[in-house]
Amino acid sequence: MSNLANLSRNGPVATLTINRPDARNALSIDLLAALHDRLDELERTPTPVTVLTGEGRAFCAGMDLKQVLGGYDTAYELLSSLGALTLRLRSLPSVVVAKVNGAAIGGGCGLVCVCDIALTHENAKLGFPEVELGLCPAVVAPWVVRKVGPGRARRVLLLGGVMDGARAAEAGLVDILTPTTDDLDEETDALAERLASGGPEAMAATKGLLNRIDGSDDRDLITEGARLSAQMVSEPEAQARLKARFG
Amino acid sequence: MSPPNELTSARDGQVLTVRLNRPERRNAMTPRMLASLARAIDDAAAAPDPPRALLLLGEGKVFCAGFDLDLCAADPDGDTMRALLSGLSETIRALRAAPFPTVIGVQGAAVAGGCALLGGADFVVSDNAARFGYPVLRLGVSPAVTAPYLTESVGTGSCRRHLLEPELFDAPHALGIGLVDELVSEPDSVEPAARAAADRLAALPPDAAAATRRWLDRITGSGSLREPALEASLSLAGGAEERSRIAGLKKR
Repeated sequence: MSNLANLSRNGPVATLTINRPDARNALSIDLLAALHDRLDELERTPTPVTVLTGEGRAFCAGMDLKQVLGGYDTAYELLSSLGALTLRLRSLPSVVVAKVNGAAIGGGCGLVCVCDIALTHENAKLGFPEVELGLCPAVVAPWVVRKVGPGRARRVLLLGGVMDGARAAEAGLVDILTPTTDDLDEETDALAERLASGGPEAMAATKGLLNRIDGSDDRDLITEGARLSAQMVSEPEAQARLKARFG
Repeated sequence: MSPPNELTSARDGQVLTVRLNRPERRNAMTPRMLASLARAIDDAAAAPDPPRALLLLGEGKVFCAGFDLDLCAADPDGDTMRALLSGLSETIRALRAAPFPTVIGVQGAAVAGGCALLGGADFVVSDNAARFGYPVLRLGVSPAVTAPYLTESVGTGSCRRHLLEPELFDAPHALGIGLVDELVSEPDSVEPAARAAADRLAALPPDAAAATRRWLDRITGSGSLREPALEASLSLAGGAEERSRIAGLKKR
């Protein structure tokens, strides 16, 4: 059984950990499948609070580059699985907290924006280098718009680059900033405890309404985004830029 | 005959710089200026070698004081007001539809129609002492034409307040609500800072930048509200309330 994603429970708080530290938790098709499996478990027996985090030094470095470079079909499979995951995370009855322990880049930063509340420390790195690389972050853009508003989303996606935790907090990508990683553990536990004191049904009803208000259940937009993003990444110009940067 | 230089434009490498050029009137907008501006943007977008960023600036001490109200007062039937409102709406449409991103540099003030342009930009630089706002309800003019883009830029709460409260606000507040993205200490520093932002945007791969900007408009759907917003503003043009208030302004 794959343990690319782990789920642990401690009373009212579940922790979902992206577990591919040797690849900075980059999202591959297998890893996304493992996350989907853990979400099956969470949907069957939900907890009031779910914390999403990464094993090791990174939260999530983005999409698995080898698969991104694998042609349209592989890229589309990867991106549509990411899209489906974002919709499922958003519609969990739990309040979902992103504990951004380290780098959250591209699709990884998109996952941060899907969560209801995000925390990080000053030295974390967050942002969206996609456009600079000739890509269109179409699957995550709707979540960025909902997190920071359309005006700031424009700045963050076009000009933001990768920024430190403090600047990410200013930009609205994260809600709570701590000085160090140790403080991050403490602050996350305290937040989870505060959140768990709420009535689970009231929380679920409130989340459901917020999702309806901001259009979070628009599946078609995410599907269209996966197609657009896969198409852009398959263009020769984008492939050449990616190979030059990372190859 | 067209007054020759209400708008100037110059291409330097990948950046097209367009300047509102009526400094003696604080760059107050005329129907002709707005029509030229919208056309300049559309022409650049359709060019065989389009620029990769647009830099929009105002000549002189003030970016733009809004519509030229003397022209409106001289035309009580409201045709001038209607042309200004349509021209403003067309200009913002053109900014959003263009494949290249836009940076606006604001020194001194961006008021009413001048402030409305900011909603079409991807990045806005201003000096610390600049003033902003939409004080047009006092004139019996509806700023509805601005609303679809301003709600995106600052959120629905701030948009409601600033379209309904006819007061100016300062640059730190504009930064706080997201209308402005970068503040500089001196008016003279606005142009270099705005140019630096335009250069950064111009360095992005153009297809990815264009696709991402198009996709953001698809997500927010703001363009679909452009016509109803313009209609709401046009419905008052030339009416008794607007006519008497603009005439009163002239006497004062």
